[in-house]
Amino acid sequence: MSDALFAAAKTSIERLTTAVGRVIVGQNAVVEEVLWGLLGGGHVLLEGAPGLGKTLLVRTLAECLDLGFSRIQFTPDLMPSDVVGTNVLVLDPSARGQGGAFTLQKGPIFGQLVLADEINRATPKTQSALLEAMAEHTVTIAGIRHTLEEPFTVLATENPIEMEGTYPLPEAQLDRFLLKVVVPNPTEAELCEVLARTTGRESPRAERVLTRDQVLELRALCRDIRVAEPVLRYAARLVRASDPQDPTTSAVLRKALRFGAGVRGAQSLVLAAKAAALVGGRPNVAFEDIDRVAKPVLRHRLLLSFEGEAEGRSTDAVVDLLLASVQKRPADVEAERART
Amino acid sequence: MIPSPLTTPASPASSAPAELAKSFRRDLARHAQRLRGALAARWALGGAALGSALAGGVTAGFWLSTRHLELRLPLAAAIVGCCAAAGLLRGRRQAWSDAKVALFLDRELEAHEHIVTAEEQLRSGNADAAVLEPALSALSRGTPTPRVVLRRHAPQSAALALGLALVLTFMLLPVRRAIATPPPVGAGAFQTNTTPGLDKVIALANAPPRDEAERERLAKIANDAEKLKADLLKGMEQREALDRVAKLEEALEQERLSLGAGEKRQGLEAAQAKLDEQSVTKKAAQALGDHDLQSLDAEMERIANSQEAEDRKAAKKALEEAIAAAKKNGAKDVAKALQEQKDRFEEREKRAALLRELESALRGQPGDAERKSDRESLDRKGSDEAARKLGDAMAKALEKMTPEERKKLAENMAKLAQKGGNGSGADPGAEKDLAKKLGTPEGQRELEDQLKDLAKQDLESPEAKKDGALDDAQGGLGDTKKQLGGIVPMPGAPGPGNGMPGGNDGKGPPGSGSHHDTGTGDHNGATQPIAGDTLRSRAKGPTNRGAPMPGTVTMWSEGKPGGTAVTPRTGDLRAAGATELDGVERSDVPTEYREQLRQYFQP
Repeated sequence: MSDALFAAAKTSIERLTTAVGRVIVGQNAVVEEVLWGLLGGGHVLLEGAPGLGKTLLVRTLAECLDLGFSRIQFTPDLMPSDVVGTNVLVLDPSARGQGGAFTLQKGPIFGQLVLADEINRATPKTQSALLEAMAEHTVTIAGIRHTLEEPFTVLATENPIEMEGTYPLPEAQLDRFLLKVVVPNPTEAELCEVLARTTGRESPRAERVLTRDQVLELRALCRDIRVAEPVLRYAARLVRASDPQDPTTSAVLRKALRFGAGVRGAQSLVLAAKAAALVGGRPNVAFEDIDRVAKPVLRHRLLLSFEGEAEGRSTDAVVDLLLASVQKRPADVEAERART
Repeated sequence: MIPSPLTTPASPASSAPAELAKSFRRDLARHAQRLRGALAARWALGGAALGSALAGGVTAGFWLSTRHLELRLPLAAAIVGCCAAAGLLRGRRQAWSDAKVALFLDRELEAHEHIVTAEEQLRSGNADAAVLEPALSALSRGTPTPRVVLRRHAPQSAALALGLALVLTFMLLPVRRAIATPPPVGAGAFQTNTTPGLDKVIALANAPPRDEAERERLAKIANDAEKLKADLLKGMEQREALDRVAKLEEALEQERLSLGAGEKRQGLEAAQAKLDEQSVTKKAAQALGDHDLQSLDAEMERIANSQEAEDRKAAKKALEEAIAAAKKNGAKDVAKALQEQKDRFEEREKRAALLRELESALRGQPGDAERKSDRESLDRKGSDEAARKLGDAMAKALEKMTPEERKKLAENMAKLAQKGGNGSGADPGAEKDLAKKLGTPEGQRELEDQLKDLAKQDLESPEAKKDGALDDAQGGLGDTKKQLGGIVPMPGAPGPGNGMPGGNDGKGPPGSGSHHDTGTGDHNGATQPIAGDTLRSRAKGPTNRGAPMPGTVTMWSEGKPGGTAVTPRTGDLRAAGATELDGVERSDVPTEYREQLRQYFQP
């Protein structure tokens, strides 16, 4: 590997973001975070108000990457078989109604970029059907296990409002999402641009930028990103400090948190940081990569305590506290740096 | 057709990983050397700053005390140098590892942890160009500047400058005038050619010794006194002379207590107990216990010359028992001394009886009133002196007697002998001999000579004589001490003030001042005499010279001129004898407690 390889990867990713940017106005941070999820081989939970372009983002991404896109609109009456598919009896017309065979009718989960829209509206049973696919990249239908085609990525959306009649995702299921991306409202300028682009005769079209193989190659390259031991230790210290039971956790965090991130959280932190480094065209993870991915990785893994909620803290604020409380480098190095 | 940027070939400018690794190692080493050097320099500077502060203190101390001024510069330089070296050593021992240096460089050069990753990969031996290239590029950006290094060491440099300024200040300040220190007290020279006090000590060589060992000890004391006398003749330091006098005093005291000392003490106490059993010898027992052999001799003299036969008999019995007890308990010297007392007791008893018989026989002769007075004096005082005086008076009377008067005296003596004496306890045979002597002119002359010899006879015991000599020697040492200028004041002790509060005679340090009433009130008048006999409260303790009163044991001896504070002394344990100090070993005290007891009684 050479530095040029990572520079080339960076160029490719930039072309991809540019292509997405032609359709999606603004939301650069959201696009980048979704790319971290995609390159890190994880799944992304998008949270935002309706109409902010979540679905469009996923659809555009699928178009740019030449990946199979499927969408599942989660509703309370959605059944697991509606997600994974089922065997249906197909009659043989030549047998005049006498003969037929069961044929697998694949569900939308068999796509490569799956949009699970408003995932919290489905029943837990249906949500759990998605779990196996997300965790193992396989689905089992009628006792037969089917492997999903890579790159398989679930991009789920969640509406923070209209919580009535929803089934909030349990912590175990939330933990399976690599990132939770918060989609913000557009700024005035962005909104004007959206209005200008979408109210005309022609809507902008996404252009295919990367092939499926290239995406897989980028994913493999992401795994090759180096992480130095001090950076790795920093990630571990961060995750440990989020555990209120840990003796090293600060008093403020201990008071604000009920549960912290676990091993999967630490893995996600490093994987997302690797993806962030790759997006930045760097062959190694820096401390700042860990800092940048900390919020999307940890915000859905931290459970606030009663005191934390009573004090009006958000998980993002708690992550900020976490980052401030954990030291990146040895004290003497920091002190020496402060002297200069 | 979608281009495949990931398959873009590596840049031709890219170097081989081996070359990159080499370059990276070289650049990292350069930076590490700079950083480690800066850190070690800071430690050295810190050490030098601390050293300069210390050196400043030392220099200031020397300047203030105006002593060792020439040592200021070399000592200050040595302190600063040593501290700087110690700081440097500490800095070298705490040198950063390559990983730490890489971490610091990443932070300083904002290298996104390229350097630490590359360093780690090189250590694990699988570095690739993708990591090495950006790391190398980051390293090439960093250039150490003197400004940064100086700013990094600013506090240490400032402290060093301050410390050196302090040193320099006390180097350049004009030296204070040294305060003249008075010579030590007692350091003055003393010379004299008349030392009558020491002559008394030298005379101890002629005192009758108890045994050969005592003869040697007394000879040594006399010899030391003689040497001191010779040195005083040549001139010597006052305090040294006083020290030697003090040593002589101590040796005399030891000698005084040598009777029944050590293991013989049990014998002494047994003898004392025997004497104490008889009421007539209670005082003698006390004198023996106090090692006051002169008082013992005087007491025995009084009893022997006493008219009371019962008392004499009881005293003789007590003496015999005391001798036996002393012998039994191994105190041969005590037994010998008491035996001498007994012999002299019997001599005195015989002499007193003879004198009383003669005095009775001479009644009615000229000079009767004078003899009667002498006889009463003997009866009252019981002293050898009174006996001698009576004997002398009777010898004179015999000289003046006519032959008829002598014949009559012989007849009187014969009648007395027939009667069995006048109750003075004289031997009837001796009375007959006396009567016979008086019957012939030769016998009369012999009796006259005998009475004259009696006047010259010295019945004082050798121990009492030696005791007296020791007393004289002690008195002589006291006189010598006065001659030398008295007790040299110890540091912190009040000086020879003039008695007025805060007064100072200008020679010695000010005295503590007297609280004497200097008012103008009437001080005439006298305190009424106290009827001492009616007082029931009396001090029980013996007024033994040189021994403390009972219950005043302080365990520490008084300060002696020229002596040092740590000189082990017997202190007030002198009353028990210096050799008793190892009495713990011979005692019944269990072994495990002996050390504690020894420490408790350690003077």
